[in-house]
Amino acid sequence: MRAAALALAFAALPALGFAQIGNPGFMAPDTRFDAQGMPEPNQPNANDILFAQLVAEGGMAEVALAELAVERAGAEAVTDFASRMIEDHSAANDELAGLAEASGIPLPDGLNAEHQAMRDRLEGMEGAEFDLAYMRGQIVDHQKTTQLLMWEITAGQDADLQRFAAATLPTILDHLRAAQGIVADLTTDRVAEAAPAADGN
Amino acid sequence: MSRTVTVGMCSIVALAASAAAAISDPLPPTTTYRQLPTMPFSRAMEIDSTQKPQVMERQRTMLDARYDLSDQPMDGVMMSGGRRAVQDGVRVRLPEGQTWDSLAAMTPQEIRDGDLLPDGFKPLPHVKQANSGQIFPQFVIDEINAQEDRDLTRFDADFDLPDHVLPEFPPPIFLTTHTHLGDVSRGELLTIKNHYEIMNGILTPVQMEGLRILLTPFPQEEFNQTEDRKTAEQHRGIACLDCHSNFNTNAGFHHTPDVRPQAARFRLDSPSLRGMFNQQIHGSKRSLRSIEDFTEFEQHTAYFNGDHVSAARKGEHIPDRSHKVAFMAQMQNIIDFPPAPKLDPMGRLDPDLATEQELLGEQVFMGKGQCAACHIPVESFMDHQMHDLKLERFYAPGEVVNDFVLLPDGPIKTFTLRGIKDTPPYMHDGRLMTLADTVEFFNLVLRTQLTQDEKDALVAYMLTL
Ligand code: HEC
Ligand code: HEC
Repeated sequence: MRAAALALAFAALPALGFAQIGNPGFMAPDTRFDAQGMPEPNQPNANDILFAQLVAEGGMAEVALAELAVERAGAEAVTDFASRMIEDHSAANDELAGLAEASGIPLPDGLNAEHQAMRDRLEGMEGAEFDLAYMRGQIVDHQKTTQLLMWEITAGQDADLQRFAAATLPTILDHLRAAQGIVADLTTDRVAEAAPAADGN
Repeated sequence: MSRTVTVGMCSIVALAASAAAAISDPLPPTTTYRQLPTMPFSRAMEIDSTQKPQVMERQRTMLDARYDLSDQPMDGVMMSGGRRAVQDGVRVRLPEGQTWDSLAAMTPQEIRDGDLLPDGFKPLPHVKQANSGQIFPQFVIDEINAQEDRDLTRFDADFDLPDHVLPEFPPPIFLTTHTHLGDVSRGELLTIKNHYEIMNGILTPVQMEGLRILLTPFPQEEFNQTEDRKTAEQHRGIACLDCHSNFNTNAGFHHTPDVRPQAARFRLDSPSLRGMFNQQIHGSKRSLRSIEDFTEFEQHTAYFNGDHVSAARKGEHIPDRSHKVAFMAQMQNIIDFPPAPKLDPMGRLDPDLATEQELLGEQVFMGKGQCAACHIPVESFMDHQMHDLKLERFYAPGEVVNDFVLLPDGPIKTFTLRGIKDTPPYMHDGRLMTLADTVEFFNLVLRTQLTQDEKDALVAYMLTL
């Protein structure tokens, strides 16, 4: 909801002339600019291209791992989280795919080695063991995505991709907070289960 | 190989960590490092200059939405040098339909969920996040240019706040070694051109040499001789006291050196160097333990970029620790706070000299307002700690404003309140314009439920410090 609202807010900005404003010193000499000195649309720099590819890889993995989690997770909180990942990241992936196509950026079509390895490992687990491994992986993935999105905001020059990064960021931070909360609960539960009955000693 | 071998031998945690280390790519290098320019300098300058009106307009729109920046001087209250009036009133704008009391009655969660935290309480963006670097008020640029023929004008961005909400200029200078003399500035801005004449007879040779280096420009950051600069001419550089005018501040601002990527770097309002002799930790986040450390590191890590790599390319200056650094530190360590005639040696108000309202303010400060827990009177109103005020209890982080990502501030050093009326705007990024703003801010953050009389008394009290 919030991401949708933000996306709308940012979509309205270019009309006011308030797009992201990068450092032209770091742009390619053949960049075309409009009368206000802003790069014309759909001219990705190397950072935009790398950004789109890395975020697409990450987004794809989010959905693939979440689908596994919906099948294998033990705790309801983890299943719920995974469903939310499928919903939010599918939407973001579609949007990114559209933006990348408009700017002529090829996107990867399979999981990268890191996430392939993660999936292989998770396929050998279930229940509580799965929950913790999946959720801990989610924390790292969302940490990396957070930094990547922030990087794009000043390092990119394709305004559509920059706006996508800005609009997606609050949602990713929210996912990260949720994942941290779930891991905290899961580990506390484990400690509670492992602890002997409280009869004093 | 190592990936498959470890399977089944380790706990899940260790496995996840080792596998990730073996195969994952790091984030792109420019998330941490500064890239080298790719555009010819003349073209970059042309594009930056073309963008400038839009950049300034965007900033003005943001500021006007956050604050009432009109000129409303407080009746009869001047800064210590008598050169500028202290501004009155709360300047942060309230969200539609709210009052300060209605906000104070809500829980942080309610304010966060309702998106009701006044925007002026949130982190304040730099004028041009991507380009970054030091930005000076026009009156500073003019004076330094007049004295030294050194032009601090940038072609990509200007200073953004009106002069009347800034510190007086040039500020007075008070010395711990000569309290009997009072202000020794003669109403001048100290520069490399005039400092000797003004200070000879007052300083020791060691202090004078320290002062000379503090006033000597060195090429750094946006003011240097390479194509990675934001001045038209190849530039001679920046001096320490360009920002810390007469060892106070001129509200020139910068970006934190301590955070990457660039979009997350928060704005830093230059602090005053008055009273450094009593401060145990330096920098809003770096917690450098001595004035010597701060001086040395500032000089050779591109001032505030936290980037020794770029600094080396632009002309880093590594001052010798046992000579130059010590001299610079000794000079800084004799800069006193402005006189506070109503305070006794314990930092408490003398009841014979203070008004009823000021005394009530002190009472609130020591009690219901909880201020003295961190701003300890006998320790120059500091505690030499960093505190996390956890403002993100009141708003959802991650919003992007003018290419800057609003994120939790985390722990920040407690600033002194001695001479506080002389150093607006307030907080590490200058997000609050008046003392009344700071009272509303802390009333909300600390949930102290102060009445209007108590708030007014706190402001009156802080004017005596
Ligand atoms: C661009 C303006 C600028 C210049 C030039 C500059 N400073 Fe600063 N100074 C600042 C800012 C901004 C901070 C706050 C840094 C932080 O919060 O991390 C600061 C902080 C300090 C502090 C710590 C103050 C405190 O309260 O923690 C000292 C000491 C200091 N500067 C000395 C120097 C010296 C010495 C030099 C020259 C080598 C110098 N400064 C050059 C702006 C400047
Ligand atoms: C938990 C410790 C703590 C308490 C309690 C506290 N402060 Fe502070 N104060 C800080 C910190 C930390 C900062 C710097 C925050 C920043 O820059 O983000 C600060 C900054 C300030 C500033 C701005 C200083 C400057 O140079 O910009 C003022 C004014 C101030 N406090 C007044 C008050 C008042 C009035 C109260 C009581 C109502 C109060 N503080 C209570 C820790 C505290």
